Amino acid sequence: MSRYARGRGMAAAWYGIAKTATIDRAGSWVELDDGGTAKVLTGVTEIGEGILTVLAQVAAEELGIRPEQVTIGDNDTSRSPEAAHAGATRQTYMIGNSVALACRNARERLDAEIADHWGVDINLIEAFNGEIWARGTNKRMTMEEAVHICKSRGVVPVGSGSFTAHGTGLDPVNGTGAPWQVYVFGAQVAEVEVDTVTGEVQVLGMWAVHDVGRTINPRGVEGQIEGAIVQGLGQALMEDYQTEKGHTTTPGFSKYILPTALDIPQINSRLVEDRDPKSPLGAKGIGEPALVPTAPAIINAIYDAIGVRITSLPATPEKVLAGLAAKKAASIAAE
Amino acid sequence: MPDHVMNLTVNGRKVKRPLGENYRLLDFLREELHLTGAKEGCGAGECGTCSVFVDGKLVKSCLMPTLKADGATIETVEGLAPLDSLTEVQRAFHKTGASQCGYCIPGMVMAATAALRENPEADFEEIKERLGGNICRCTGYAKIFEAVEIARDVIAGRLPQTALEPDAAAESFIGASVRRIDAPSKVTGRLKYAGDMIMPDMLHMQVLRSPHAHARIVSIDTSEAEALEGVACVITAADVPGEDGFGVFVHDQPIMARGKVRHVGEAVAAVSAESVEIARRALGLIKVEYEELPAVFDPEEAMRPGAPVIHDYAPDNLVKHIPIRKGDVEAGFAEADLIVENTYSTQQIEHAYLEPEAGLAYVDPDGVVTIHSPSQNITHHRHMLAKIINRPINKVRFIMSPVGGGFGGKEDMIYQGMLALAAMKSGRPVRLVFTREESIIASAKRHPARITYRMGLKSDGRITAVSFRMISDGGAYGMSTEGVMRKAAILAFGPYEVPNLKVDTYGIYTNNTPSGAFRSFGAMQTQFATESHLDLCAEKLGLDPFEIRRRNMMKIGSTTHTGQMLETCSMEEVLRVAEEFCRWERGAPTSRGATRSDLGGPDTRKPCTLGARFKMPEAEESKQEVA
Repeated sequence: MSRYARGRGMAAAWYGIAKTATIDRAGSWVELDDGGTAKVLTGVTEIGEGILTVLAQVAAEELGIRPEQVTIGDNDTSRSPEAAHAGATRQTYMIGNSVALACRNARERLDAEIADHWGVDINLIEAFNGEIWARGTNKRMTMEEAVHICKSRGVVPVGSGSFTAHGTGLDPVNGTGAPWQVYVFGAQVAEVEVDTVTGEVQVLGMWAVHDVGRTINPRGVEGQIEGAIVQGLGQALMEDYQTEKGHTTTPGFSKYILPTALDIPQINSRLVEDRDPKSPLGAKGIGEPALVPTAPAIINAIYDAIGVRITSLPATPEKVLAGLAAKKAASIAAE
Repeated sequence: MPDHVMNLTVNGRKVKRPLGENYRLLDFLREELHLTGAKEGCGAGECGTCSVFVDGKLVKSCLMPTLKADGATIETVEGLAPLDSLTEVQRAFHKTGASQCGYCIPGMVMAATAALRENPEADFEEIKERLGGNICRCTGYAKIFEAVEIARDVIAGRLPQTALEPDAAAESFIGASVRRIDAPSKVTGRLKYAGDMIMPDMLHMQVLRSPHAHARIVSIDTSEAEALEGVACVITAADVPGEDGFGVFVHDQPIMARGKVRHVGEAVAAVSAESVEIARRALGLIKVEYEELPAVFDPEEAMRPGAPVIHDYAPDNLVKHIPIRKGDVEAGFAEADLIVENTYSTQQIEHAYLEPEAGLAYVDPDGVVTIHSPSQNITHHRHMLAKIINRPINKVRFIMSPVGGGFGGKEDMIYQGMLALAAMKSGRPVRLVFTREESIIASAKRHPARITYRMGLKSDGRITAVSFRMISDGGAYGMSTEGVMRKAAILAFGPYEVPNLKVDTYGIYTNNTPSGAFRSFGAMQTQFATESHLDLCAEKLGLDPFEIRRRNMMKIGSTTHTGQMLETCSMEEVLRVAEEFCRWERGAPTSRGATRSDLGGPDTRKPCTLGARFKMPEAEESKQEVA
């Protein structure tokens, strides 16, 4: 047997989007502001996933301006509308749709004034990238002018939006219920190399395929998948918070081992865009679901490589060596 | 030597300042010079967030005594580029989306800058090695490596400067990789996290934590601590004016231990003082008399009659049991051709966000109790705190500070209540910054799980019945356990349709560090078991892993385990794309790695061979040669 054994494994997963088994909701306020810029206020919490950029993209698209022209007023319980928490893979879905609705509401105000100003049907008005025009006519101006005209007519182009996702509670006896209105699906494949002398496992490649609904920011989605896979890899192979009679024996990063630059596989991701029919944007989410299949894909790949089934995470070198030794003992006993 | 006057050159300017209490260079830069781009992530030289250049050498400033830097030339992330401009490395980080929460990013930018200064031709492998001393918990490092390679090539002239520009706007901003709007603030170190914030007249808080896993508090004497010069106030559970108790689902946790402590590291009292040092000294003057109680550290032991009771309201130590039933499980097993049983377990996991918990609270001129903190759920915190401090809800204001990573670990209000009480008692702003060790012992973890699995299948791979039972250690407080048990149960059997199913998940109180929300909220634990088990079954039936999943997968119109009809479902498409994308070679999972032909493709990396001097002993030979 060669010292280095390679193998591949796969795992699939599913996940529900937004709060579980309850009604979820998010609110936003929007103003098309001077200079053709915009203010978006919502109780959003950027925890690193890039939600502020996602909301700027949504607002720019819906308002007809550019993302860098959007200023986001984020979470302050005394200043911004309630949009609940940063968790449950809910912010793009809940707050993204809420902002889209608020922007459409502001545009209705603006478009009505501009259509009247031009003497055209409101349904002909379109806007993109800082310009507004009436389809099929030569009427066109910048958003800066449009906001100025709207305000000169006594109307501030503001809007509000509230988006609701309908989930139901579970029956306490048999668990029956409809906990989410939208689900996502994913699958990952891992390729590993096991050092049969040291018991170390290296993950050399990961392939991740996830349904995210309509993609808002492809690079941002990739970043979420990569981060999730590396957290899943940490759980599969090395991370282990331990206590001894309630006292931790892993109180810092020298004892609690995290994946670093040299542990990272090449990560290949591809998106499946099955749009959500129940929401204005059609987007779903990716933050949590991308982590779910990683560890079982790696563990299945270890089995493929060396025939050792790890059932207790993490697959430390000690457990891998113990598994190899047990396998060898079993094969000798069988002879 | 607090009076010693330090003479340094910092970011091109002469600096002359007293050393003060800033023993570590990191503290001198942050507290004396207000250069907060260098962050404290671990305080032990392990994470690299505090990296700066000292006389041109990359140094972890948390490990360097300030005096050692006397006379040195220091360059911090703030000094890399003039205001309103970015270096190539910073622009490349912006371009590729290399910053997520941003807390590790100043250190990463410094390490990447050092790598390219020391070897402008560093290849991919060398770049990775040179960044090996910096931890990032958000990005998975991939976009960071990509950024450094682009910056290297732009600096060398192999790529044009335009490679650092944003991609041109297409027909829609949705579906476009628009650059992150918050990246410039993060790659320059300008963004202020809660621990970077200061206010005039601000006090510093330190927390006294329980050394016991389970003990009755007989008495707390804070008089000596309160008398110490520089101490503004000491708070305990006795200072709570309203209804004490918080939690994501059940409000079973007091702001500080009330009557007894339930886990090691639980907050017992907190001191607010003119400096962190004084507050720490005062902690040593607080006298707490404990009477130790029998403790329980294993959830299955905690479920047995007669086990120590952790919360009076839950005499059986049960936080939550979630049952899911579908069809007739016994009939399903009876019709199976094959029944496979196994057990699985997963461990407790620390979130390890690079930003330890921190917050700043004050009472504003209108009497509004205001708290800045990197919390994931300030709306709920506001509701709970209003009850706890007995004020109308509009007299409580939570402001989200930039969150340096969360992953679920910052959903629990484990310190904001103490800050509010201290601000109310002292009438001054109060700041608390956790150490890494404090963050690890006081914050929730991913629930560890023990899972017993039984699955019945027909010989063609169709699953006829599933029985699934999970016991999870919830630790000392409820936190998110109820919700985690619910999501774990609903999603347990994965995206497969089965007519007969029985799932039970149990979250149990113990005297361990509490478990709480963590990215995937229980779904990772249960689906780890399901996906491992399916491969076991596939091997026994001689089926390809994709194929066994396809034969059972959910489709449009399928009924989920909770009886919900799916109106959309992309599972078939996901499996099809995944199988093709990775060039999967079909076959049953029989440990066939040695004979596979789909390994080592261009979409994999090379194995890392650091330290590979050891030679493989000859097959079956026990003699080892060590170089």
